[in-house]
Formats: sequence, structure tokens, C-alpha cells
Amino acid sequence: MHKTLSIVLAFAFLTFAALGAMAEGQVFGAGVSLEKAVKVSDLLESPDKYVGETIRVEGIAVGVCSHRGCWVELASDKEGETVRVKVKDGEIVFPPELLGSILAAEGVWTANKLDLDTTKQLCEHKAKQAGEKFDPAEVTSCMTLYQLTGTGAKVLPMPQKSLKKG
Amino acid sequence: MSKFRRVCRWLHRELGFFTVGLTLVYAISGLAVNHAHHWDANYQRNFEVKHIEPVGTGFTVDILPLVLDQLVLEDPVKNSWRASEEHLQIFQEGSTHTVNLVTGEVTTESVKRRAMLFDLNFMHLNTGKGFWTWVADSYAIILALLAITGIFLTRGSKGLGGRGGVLMVLGIALPLIYAIWINLSR
Repeated sequence: MHKTLSIVLAFAFLTFAALGAMAEGQVFGAGVSLEKAVKVSDLLESPDKYVGETIRVEGIAVGVCSHRGCWVELASDKEGETVRVKVKDGEIVFPPELLGSILAAEGVWTANKLDLDTTKQLCEHKAKQAGEKFDPAEVTSCMTLYQLTGTGAKVLPMPQKSLKKG
Repeated sequence: MSKFRRVCRWLHRELGFFTVGLTLVYAISGLAVNHAHHWDANYQRNFEVKHIEPVGTGFTVDILPLVLDQLVLEDPVKNSWRASEEHLQIFQEGSTHTVNLVTGEVTTESVKRRAMLFDLNFMHLNTGKGFWTWVADSYAIILALLAITGIFLTRGSKGLGGRGGVLMVLGIALPLIYAIWINLSR
């Protein structure tokens, strides 16, 4: 009886393991349910208009959190602009392989108004990253950080483009 | 030997054998992710810098072919993005090339999954969720059973009433003292 029980237990575990190992595909968290996306350029032009709203955004994944995969940056339809999609640490993990893929993400658009000290710290950090000089006296107003508090995302198929294949 | 002790021994032995694999998964991955602040436990990252002839800050549509011609990439290009006036990014599967259009400097970051360790961490951190949550929950229950049944394996001076008991108290005290310490130091 003991042998039988051991075999049954082993079988149950192996089944679970096999099913658990199945890839989840290209959907992260709750995925996306909204049909229409807000253009990132529109969002960044009037960010306050969307605060508190659940929206969908789309863009090329151009940055991923290298520590825990807890955020992804999507490129805007305007050059140089990005929007950050932040998810709860560990709940959704964006892998670095996403870079260059087109991603649709959904969540609540949030505004986080920083105090002056934090604004200065952030500006200093950004200047350091860009290798630029930083003078705290030049920062006189508080900054508001906007981001999508993401609940899910989905990789979209790549449009047919004529990029060189080498 | 009492019936209770016999059941404990049986459970401890069967479950112990059964969970060797999972225990190794969690132990190896545990060591790896404990040091996540020292290294990237999931990916190997390589940076390479090279130079091309600067192509200038013209329209992306005009300069992209010029950059691609000079990079001579073997694998397909996944996408490209003009990060700023001076920077163009080109994405391939597993690598990102950041091109300074003014200086011609190209920084390539390549990312590769660590063999085996990536999968172990995937299981340990339950990144896949779904059915693995059941496996991990079951394993947690089994670990608790192993701990409890382990207490009753041996009698006498090496058991709960002797050295075993002292070791058990020490093992319980360790996390307890740490918990008190972190709460006091907050």
C-alpha cells in the first residue's frame, strides 16, 4: 500500500510539474481587455486628463527593469518619448527578451507629485545617468511622475516592415 | 516503537525521497536569488563597444539603412527606435545596439538566459503562476510535514528530550531573534 501511495504521489507531482512548466505565451498578468489604445503622444501631451482612468497603451518595448522586471518602457509614436508601465514586484515579470517587441499594456494612469527634495534627487540621478553636470539650485519646481500602473500586457504581432535582415 | 512514531518515520522517509528534486531546485535557486544584489541570477549580460562612421542626425528613415549597412548584422532585426536626436536603438533577439549618431559609437548589450538557473529561478519565484502554485503550495505543506515528523524520529538523548531538543530550540530562536531585531531597528 505504501508503494502504491508513493507512486500515486509521484505521478500527481510530475503531472503538476509538467503543466506548470508550460509556457504562458505572450500574455502578462491579466492581459489586455480594452479594444482601443490611447496614443502615447496624446497621453503625454495631456497627462492629467487621463489620471485615474483605466487605459490601454501600445508601443515598442524599449526599456525593461533589469533587476526584477517590474517595469517596461514603451516608445511613443513620437520619437524620443516613452511611457512607463509599472507592475507590482513579482506579480508580473517583464523579461529582457521583450525589448524591441510591440506591447499592449493596460492599467490605471497615475500621477505622483514629488516634493522638491525628491525632484532634485531624481534630476541628479538622471543627470548622472546621462553623464551631465547637475546643479541642484537650477531645480526650483516640483515634478509630477506619470506612469501606467499596469495590470496586464500582451505582445502584439510585428507589422510587416522592410528592415534589413543582414 | 509506537504506531505514531512508525507513521512519522514512514511519512518522513517517503516524502523525503519524493521531495529530493524539489528541495534541490529551491536550494540552488535560493542561493542564486539570495545574491540578486550581487549578480543577475537569470541572465548573462555582455556589453561591447565598437565604432562606425557617424551618419548624422537626419531623419530616421534615411539614416537607419546607413547604420544597418555598417553594422552588418547576421541575425534579423526585430525593431528600431529613435531614442533621441543623437541616439538610435536597434533591437535583435537577445541584443540591443545603441548607436550614437554623432560620434558613431555603438554599444551592444547582449542578454542570454543562464542555463538551468533561469528555469530553477522561474520555479522558485513561481513566475509562471498557474499550476506551479499548486506544486509549490504542496511542497510547502510537505516541508512542514517533514519538519514535524522529523521531531519524532528518534527517542532518548539524541531525540526531542536531549540534543535534538536543544538543536530545535536553537533553530527556532534564530529566525525569532532576527524578527525581533528587525522590528526593533525599524
